[in-house]
Amino acid sequence: MAGILQRWGVWIAAAAVILVMPVFVTSGFYITMLNQMGVLIIFALAYNMLLGQGGMLSFGHAVYFGLAGYTVAHYLNGIGEETLPYLPVSLIPIMGGAVGLFFGVLIGFVSTRRAGTTFAMISLGFAEMVTALTLVVVTFFNGEEGIQTDRWVGPEPLGITFGSDVQVYYLIGAWCLIATAAMYALTRTPFGRMCNAVRDNPERVQFIGYSTHRIRWLAFSLSSFFAGLAGALHAVNVEHVGFETVGLAQSGLVLFMVWIGGAGIFMGPILGAILITLLNSNLSDFTDAWYLYLGLLFMTVVMFARNGLAGLIVMHEPIWKIKIGLFQKMIVPYALGIGSTLLAVAGAIGIIELAYFMSTRTTAETITHLYWVEIDAAGPVPWIASAAALAAGFAACTRTYPIMAASYNGAIAEVKALVAS
Amino acid sequence: MSTTAIELRSVHKNFGATEIIRGVDLAIEQAKIHAIIGPNGAGKSTLFNLMTGLHPLTAGSIHLKGREISSQAPYDIARAGLARSFQVTNIFANMSVFENIRCGMMWDRGYKYSFWRFAGRQRDLTENCEAILQQTGLTSRRNVPAGLLSYSDQRALEIAITLASGADVILLDEPTAGMSRSETTQAVDLIRAVSDNKTLVIVEHDMGVVFDLADTISVLVYGEIIASGAPEEIRGDPKVREAYLGAEVD
Repeated sequence: MAGILQRWGVWIAAAAVILVMPVFVTSGFYITMLNQMGVLIIFALAYNMLLGQGGMLSFGHAVYFGLAGYTVAHYLNGIGEETLPYLPVSLIPIMGGAVGLFFGVLIGFVSTRRAGTTFAMISLGFAEMVTALTLVVVTFFNGEEGIQTDRWVGPEPLGITFGSDVQVYYLIGAWCLIATAAMYALTRTPFGRMCNAVRDNPERVQFIGYSTHRIRWLAFSLSSFFAGLAGALHAVNVEHVGFETVGLAQSGLVLFMVWIGGAGIFMGPILGAILITLLNSNLSDFTDAWYLYLGLLFMTVVMFARNGLAGLIVMHEPIWKIKIGLFQKMIVPYALGIGSTLLAVAGAIGIIELAYFMSTRTTAETITHLYWVEIDAAGPVPWIASAAALAAGFAACTRTYPIMAASYNGAIAEVKALVAS
Repeated sequence: MSTTAIELRSVHKNFGATEIIRGVDLAIEQAKIHAIIGPNGAGKSTLFNLMTGLHPLTAGSIHLKGREISSQAPYDIARAGLARSFQVTNIFANMSVFENIRCGMMWDRGYKYSFWRFAGRQRDLTENCEAILQQTGLTSRRNVPAGLLSYSDQRALEIAITLASGADVILLDEPTAGMSRSETTQAVDLIRAVSDNKTLVIVEHDMGVVFDLADTISVLVYGEIIASGAPEEIRGDPKVREAYLGAEVD
């Protein structure tokens, strides 16, 4: 029993969380957000098969996501109009995967001949090409309007119609779990190990009998399969597929999610997808500068946390595995560090919001809200307060970060001593 | 009666207008240790790169156990049973020592690109990896990321990956480069231990190592083999003495 729990504990816990979530989350807004999150988790993990596992930086992976979405939207419409054979909606994601796989095999054969800059540029080229096609091939893409669809089609086995968002939630949750498990399993196969080998050292791989092109091509194709699966779920979820789903912004978003979450660690993209979806759904209502914050977050992670958020968690793994009590001594230093960071961030947000408000306002009105307080953006007080918070926070950071680092290093040193003895 | 493991027939290689290899004929006997020596820039590493498919030939041909491998892709040559190590350590830095070795043997054991079975569940892979870890003295470093190994352990891993393929023809490019005296002794012992029934071709600068290990020595100078023979013949060869200015060979 203990063995089963240790081995499958994470998966059982994930399944349980997915299962009970709608009991606690009842608002339609948050169910919609969770649905989007599930779709993006699959997409981010698929993307990371390229970036984190195989060392391929793609700027156009949304192509496979979007093309699968369009195809599935047409197919659902076909079922509805009874011009196409019935396929249960719950199995539609497999069709999306097949579409992704088809284009992945085709385009991947060309683009994976070389890695690095060449691969990145080719991915960009295909992304632009498909985006252009959405405006040209009107019968399939329907230009800027996109394709409207309806997931409530065909027979209703056990009363499952996918009419409600909660039913779609469970569909996405189940597929998210299956796809995650499958992609995790893939990393443990001979193919998965060789993906890492190609990422680390493509030259040597050739001298141990493997064709780097074959490995990359296979990785690209399988990754496109899962991207297509995610794209199909997206189409089922929002019942609309537009040109933005194949575009650069969508490709860039998945890159952001993966990198912020941590490309080098399997759970990284999951964290990234969760965080970005949470921020996207919640912040975009509060501020127009949301993309600026996303960019700043991305830059910060790139510069200071090479392995992303998952990396920050994993670096503490030895402590909780060997002696969890060591965290006690770290609480105060970490609280100081995080506190000063929050102060600096609060100040920066204040300045950005004020500047944004002043430069984008359409009336002469200068009264606005900052942190739920009514302020006059034309007066000096909010600006000075924000700047002071930023300066004080920054100054505090320069003092508290060394303390935080020292407490971490001390704990790790203790762990090392414990392991050695 | 001995058979030939690798044969080079009037091999030429130009980089642009520069001739690097200028007509090399060489037959390397099976199950022998064959050293290639020569001054810097003689083309020793280039010769290795030609044999293992890193560069295409300009003219001539190369045969592995009677089968022509000239200008084939490196992975085809590796699958045909020719493995090599590198002068500059060339490992999978983010993977563990164990995984480095396992990657080295997967093709040979028929796992190829399979994505429907777990690598960790394949007992033959695990057992063979443990054996190679033991043989190369890396058992205690089994789970360490390869990039964190000490230099001499990385060199040992370099050889371990090469051995893992199960190839019976092995090319070692300066296996003792940058090693201390005691590390070199260890490396020589390792090479001797693994050379059983295998053909070894070694490029090496350390003349002590070369004369200690090799059954046959070929001297490459300015893209040509100027002498080939048993160590004592090479030691006495006036052309070789001239090429080395009489200093190192003594």
